[in-house]
Amino acid sequence: MIYSIIKASEEHAQLIAVLSGMHGISNADFLAVSYDDITAVVCDVPKVGMVTDRSATMDYASVVDSLFKDFTLLPVRFGSVMESDDEIRKMLQKNYKEIKNNLLKVEGKLEFGLKVFCDTLKLQARFEDNSKAEINVAATTVSGQNNSIFKDYVNKKLIEYRIEESLLSYVNSLIQKISDCCTGIKAISKFKKMLSPTNIIDALFLIDKEMTNQLIRLVKDLKTRYPDLNFILTGPWPPYNFVDITIS
Amino acid sequence: MSENKILFSTGNLEGLAKDIGKMTDTEGSKLKLSPDNADSGLAKLVLTLIELIRKLVEKQAMRRVDGGSLTDEEIERLGETLMKLEMKMEELKKHFNLTDRDLNINLGPLGDLM
Repeated sequence: MIYSIIKASEEHAQLIAVLSGMHGISNADFLAVSYDDITAVVCDVPKVGMVTDRSATMDYASVVDSLFKDFTLLPVRFGSVMESDDEIRKMLQKNYKEIKNNLLKVEGKLEFGLKVFCDTLKLQARFEDNSKAEINVAATTVSGQNNSIFKDYVNKKLIEYRIEESLLSYVNSLIQKISDCCTGIKAISKFKKMLSPTNIIDALFLIDKEMTNQLIRLVKDLKTRYPDLNFILTGPWPPYNFVDITIS
Repeated sequence: MSENKILFSTGNLEGLAKDIGKMTDTEGSKLKLSPDNADSGLAKLVLTLIELIRKLVEKQAMRRVDGGSLTDEEIERLGETLMKLEMKMEELKKHFNLTDRDLNINLGPLGDLM
């Protein structure tokens, strides 16, 4: 199984030292399979009966994390298995240029995650008051007569729609604000929104190591500006979300 | 997530961790097909798709209502149609013993379907 691809040759003394102190799935030793100046860190796995539970994925992540402390690396998706060392070497050779480009992109950089939570019920209640007021005005001006049950139904749905749109627009403006703040630290960022009723933003940043403290300060500033929101900043992580390779 | 990976956090961490846990718990939204439950498994899949389409239609309709491009009669007819669709959907959910949560498939890192 391939854990990661690192920028080092297999004779690299530090790599040998780091790998000798670690064990992979089923307690197997790690091996380094190289092509030129890139190396895949691998370990043998049984052909059948490999356990792929939470504990195995946590072990995998902890190995990648340990390697990441000493090397520039590209994490390889958990469970990526190849038949033999030769096949791995061929894969490295075939994808050498892409791998090198990605290693260059993440060199000296760290990934961080920022989750933004909010009490959407509180926020929706605020938007609801606004929407209801708007719809009441609209209903009297449009129909000028008593509403039917169908029209009341549409009004109810319209309120829900406007609340949802207001929430989305609020989240978009927040993402824009975070993006603007990130230009100062030259972060490459990715955003996902509305993952759950409470987790309104899931952001990922790839920044230079030296910018770590500035990122923490930036998030603290956001909390001051948006006291109703909650933030969780995590990291540093290996660049799990910023590697863009289709292995051939 | 190990504690030492948290660089800064605000609010009740335990509560937030529960929220994250709910998001990654995909057990409830898995489609479990077996010879014993082929009917309900398939019903869940089909109703999920119908509900997604119904919600999209409803959203598009509200966008038009909000834009003010519909006449009073059109709004009336739209309300009747949407209401009947929702009632029919409720009937089908009840028939197959499904809840809203069952039809809202968790797409893992992409969040919930609806």
